[in-house]
Amino acid sequence: MKRPLERPGRVVVLLSALLAVAMVMTIAVGRQNYSPAYVMRAVLALLHLADPLPSPLQTILELRIWRALTTAGVGASLALSGSLLQGLFRNQLAAPSLIGITSGASLGATCAILIAGGYAPNLVMEHAAGFGSLLIPLFGFLGAFGAVSIVALLAAPAGRISTPTLLLFGIAVNMCTSGIFAAIQSLVLRDWEVSRSIMAWTFGTLEDRSALHAGTVFVGLIISACAIPFVALELDLFKGGESDAQSLGVAVSRVKVVCLAAAALSAACAVAVAGQIAFVGLVVPHIVRMTAGALHRSLLPISLVAGALFLLGADLLQRALLGEGVLQPGVLMSVIGGPFFVYLLVKHRRELSAW
Amino acid sequence: MVMLEARDVAYEYPGPVKAVLGVDLELKGSELVTVIGPNGSGKSTLARCLGGLLMPQRGSITIDGVRLDSLDDRARARRLAMVPQYLPLLPDVRVLHFVLGGRYPWIERFAGATQHDLDVVRSALTRCDAADLESRLMSELSGGQRQRVLLARALAQEAQFLLIDEPTSALDPEHQISVFELIAEQTCHGAAILVITHDLNLASQFATRVVLMDEGRVVRSGSVADVLNPAVLEPVYGKNLRFGEVEDPSGKRRPYVIPWRRLGQSPS
Repeated sequence: MKRPLERPGRVVVLLSALLAVAMVMTIAVGRQNYSPAYVMRAVLALLHLADPLPSPLQTILELRIWRALTTAGVGASLALSGSLLQGLFRNQLAAPSLIGITSGASLGATCAILIAGGYAPNLVMEHAAGFGSLLIPLFGFLGAFGAVSIVALLAAPAGRISTPTLLLFGIAVNMCTSGIFAAIQSLVLRDWEVSRSIMAWTFGTLEDRSALHAGTVFVGLIISACAIPFVALELDLFKGGESDAQSLGVAVSRVKVVCLAAAALSAACAVAVAGQIAFVGLVVPHIVRMTAGALHRSLLPISLVAGALFLLGADLLQRALLGEGVLQPGVLMSVIGGPFFVYLLVKHRRELSAW
Repeated sequence: MVMLEARDVAYEYPGPVKAVLGVDLELKGSELVTVIGPNGSGKSTLARCLGGLLMPQRGSITIDGVRLDSLDDRARARRLAMVPQYLPLLPDVRVLHFVLGGRYPWIERFAGATQHDLDVVRSALTRCDAADLESRLMSELSGGQRQRVLLARALAQEAQFLLIDEPTSALDPEHQISVFELIAEQTCHGAAILVITHDLNLASQFATRVVLMDEGRVVRSGSVADVLNPAVLEPVYGKNLRFGEVEDPSGKRRPYVIPWRRLGQSPS
């Protein structure tokens, strides 16, 4: 194992530079490729710092800009959420799906799809009609946050969250929401349109993302990232157990609440706008831990930037190799994430046996 | 003079498990108090109450006249350090970083550790004879080394009060002595130390005062000779004990106690 990195600044700057390059490339590459100069012009025009490009070109590039920003934001949010939860649970297998975020969002988004598909009372339909594209992210977010809140409340009978209990209630609530989700799916199986939409959502999509999607993800990400300096040192001390951390002066309950809220908010926003994208939250913190060490003051910020780079890079690579719209990013992550995780575990089997 | 005072402290767990049922205890600077007692007598629960990890359901604990529960976690940790009996393996933490954890209550938020913090950590490691371990992983340490590192972290905390839970339970005889010598040395710097131990003979050699607990209460508190005698110990531990005396290096005679089976007498 390498020496732990104490000052992440240089690595974060380096990764951010790589991220900027990947962003420009992602925007430039598509059904039609454009030069990076055009990309920069389009970005400047968006910021009202330059005149917009000729009409279809500016629109196309703007769509790609929002898509790229959403992708980067989703990757960063999921990786940050995963690294916070792995620290909180002192378990490298923790991920946002563990505490109900993913299944809650699925249920919420499914409800939105049902409403949009005409399964709601007419009154609701009339009000919902104007918000078509807003409805799925909104319900996805509400579902995710609702599920996490239920898990947290159930696990904190006396106002103190117990981490092992949190894990068990996370699994239990996941079962409940997955059950309802499956029931809904089977009930609407004959309605081809609605079933297809639900299934497509669970694959996770980054197509046709707007400023609203990118904005939602980044609001969640920025608020959650503000938690980093309040929990980084503390999560290192959690490794000896919670009462040991408390004896060293850590306000354990506060750290747990901040950690959980930040992890839930960032992941809920990400899942709400992009659907289920697995493995980023699990694998990215792993890779970072194996290369930069396990100190959270490095692990958390580097995971954030690396998560953005990971999802953006994977998406760029698959579009370059397979062509546009062949695999959804969520599916891609499942397909490459699993084997990659197995590879990582095999490679580090000896170190892992110490756990 | 620094002083920790517990008055009528009680803590009961739900269910029929070990508890503390009203304990009075004082701990002053330069004192090494050992708390002894059978399994389940409430020693560790008492230590967790004194350390602020459990909130007593009754009674009060004051530290230099300030109520312990009025201090926030950091302020408490600057005055009072705990050495736990056991910690998980911590495979990915190096000794230097682990001991640096003891500086947490002193480090300003957003500031990070300073050179002073590192100096304190290194000197604590040196005092615990563990300076050569600083870049080793916690998972690579032997039981004795881990005990010294745990103690070094508590010293790095620069607290006036040290609460130490079973420091020698995993150690061979040689290391038991060296760890207790190290602990006793801290009283020379004015620290007030409370050690929970099952080892009556180490208590006999090093304690300035012995507190005997049984079933959640203090049965006897006094000098080594007051407590470590058959009349006091047998009602608590049973009859399977043998008593004797050894002359210690200063020529003073001190009692020793060994567990030794008596035929026809099974422990109750």
